[in-house]
Amino acid sequence: MRMSILLFLIYRMLWISSKVNPRFKRFIRKARVRLMIKTADGRHARLFVFENGRVSTATGPDHRFDAALVWQDPGTAVSVMLKRSQEAIFYAAAEGKLKLEGMSVYALWFDEAVKQAL
Amino acid sequence: MAKKITGGHLAAKYMKEMEKVDTVFTISGGHIENLLDGMAQYGIRAVDVRHEQAAAMMAHAWSVYRNEPGVCLVTAGPGFTNALTGIVNAHLENVPLVVLSGRHPIRDDLKGALQEMNQIDMVKPVTKWCATCYDPARIPEYLSIAFRQATMGRPGPVFLELPPDILFAETDESLVAMPSRRRHKTYVSPAQDELEEAARIINGAQKPMFLGGSGIGMSDCGKVLEQFLRKTGIPFALINYGRGVLPDNHPQSVNPGGFTGLTAGLPMCDVIIAAGVRFNWVLQSGSLFPDARVIRIDIEPTEIDRNRSVDVGLVGDAGRVLEQLMPLVEQRSHEKWLETFKNAYTAFMTTELEKRNTASDPIHPSRLVEQIQRTFGEDAYYVADGGDTTYYGMSGFASRHRAGVLAPAGGLLGCLGTGIPFAIAAKLAHPNKPVIVLNGDGSFGFNAMEFDTAVRHNIPIICVVNNDCAWGMIKHSQEISLGPDRCTCADLGLRHYEKMVEGLGGYGELVTKDEEIVPALKRAAGSGKPACINVLTDPTVTSPATVLFYQSFAGLG
Repeated sequence: MRMSILLFLIYRMLWISSKVNPRFKRFIRKARVRLMIKTADGRHARLFVFENGRVSTATGPDHRFDAALVWQDPGTAVSVMLKRSQEAIFYAAAEGKLKLEGMSVYALWFDEAVKQAL
Repeated sequence: MAKKITGGHLAAKYMKEMEKVDTVFTISGGHIENLLDGMAQYGIRAVDVRHEQAAAMMAHAWSVYRNEPGVCLVTAGPGFTNALTGIVNAHLENVPLVVLSGRHPIRDDLKGALQEMNQIDMVKPVTKWCATCYDPARIPEYLSIAFRQATMGRPGPVFLELPPDILFAETDESLVAMPSRRRHKTYVSPAQDELEEAARIINGAQKPMFLGGSGIGMSDCGKVLEQFLRKTGIPFALINYGRGVLPDNHPQSVNPGGFTGLTAGLPMCDVIIAAGVRFNWVLQSGSLFPDARVIRIDIEPTEIDRNRSVDVGLVGDAGRVLEQLMPLVEQRSHEKWLETFKNAYTAFMTTELEKRNTASDPIHPSRLVEQIQRTFGEDAYYVADGGDTTYYGMSGFASRHRAGVLAPAGGLLGCLGTGIPFAIAAKLAHPNKPVIVLNGDGSFGFNAMEFDTAVRHNIPIICVVNNDCAWGMIKHSQEISLGPDRCTCADLGLRHYEKMVEGLGGYGELVTKDEEIVPALKRAAGSGKPACINVLTDPTVTSPATVLFYQSFAGLG
């Protein structure tokens, strides 16, 4: 539940920034990226879609994506994501708590997008 | 009676006897005929190609594979201008390429002679040194300067114009002064306090990484590098012409993580030791490791703080600097950090690793690379050429040889078409090893006629075309930026490159299914001929390189 709420809040933050944050608007204006964050069992999943300056979303694991952050469990996902640190994500991956499907460059781009939106 | 020698023969004699040149890449031409004759006289092999840019690229590659200056000889005018792309490539890669060029006769200056043009002013900005020789008796002196300039300090291409008036002119051989020695041995070394400061940083590092580039390859310092890394326990990545100085399967190497591994792991490092590698766009100008303390080792002082300030700069030959650091660094282990780094990049490469190990229809390029690698193993030389193709080759190939995996199109010039010339030079330098070039279908076109060179000179390279029937990187980038319905000049269509190679006297096969790849490669190797295996791959696949390529332009405007 906490993970689903966190993912929704991330979406809202990105959506609001896409309307009011000039730096973020510039960052995403030419982007076409589909980034999924989900748990391995697919019970918690949200797709973030960036398309030429617009941000939209969809829930559920069955969407096409460019990159997906696949968390071992929702508790780990929440605790690591709340740290808002690339290092925490790196170590989660090293410890087998996270794997990345698709292309990692999109995940790096998403990480930068969140930084720009904050 | 005094013994006479022509200028061309004198040039060949000097190169053979003083510089030990045994191979020159060239195309014949009237202006340089006497030098070609001299090469035959003194036993220098002439590899005559079909386009001068290939001659320059082969000589460039020769210098990498043999660790000695590569020589190309081109004729005046279009011979010279055709070679320019290869010269610029060598310039941007700091490679000791020696270009000898014909020109119009001195006698006909300003008369509108055949191929009269100002070559020197054109080539000056893209060479380390350039000159015209006006006196046949001074040819050895000029050549000596050219070879010194190419190799001393930071290497680079040099250009020497030899007009036909002096190449054909006879001179009294007894009056010609041959330089008495081949090389000067002068070295630059860092100050002791800089070495000690670097050692303090290294000894205190918790998450260090050694990043070696072309300077490691040109220093050819595998032995001392191995000792240094074993003592310090530092994980390492070797890129550009440094790749393979230690094998990719070395236990401390993170090269199997490729580009993904470096982009994921470098930001975590607390200390980076960068040796003989420039912080240019390939390394995102050093911005990948914003918080790390950085030690840079480079033979060129102006590189030390370029694009990114460093904590310590050690100027000198990479191998010699490592030798000097050896007694100052402590015996350590970074096994836990190395394991963390490897585990992390493996998690980030989930999809890529799956693609490599799974047969697919259409064939995924990562799978194609994996099948090639399984067929020829690590006792082979691999070259990748293209846009996306460069990414797949660099991340999927592994070799235990110095410069065993090269992707010359991934350099600063981004020069497509380098693959076949590099492969030919690799095979000439290592005739007993398999040499495989993975070409995009776009990049294949630039120097495909060099298969004729390979056939005439019996150089059995194996070219695998990763054929997505398009300029893949451009097409996918346009799909992102313009939309899939507005792609322009991006499609190539299905072409039977294998039949073209067959027509030139080589071996060719078309492959469309995963299970056909390995048998076709084996038949190609068994044919003993230059071969082209044209493999139709999934045209919808995009590599991370395309995304970065697109992003590099998306911020503009």
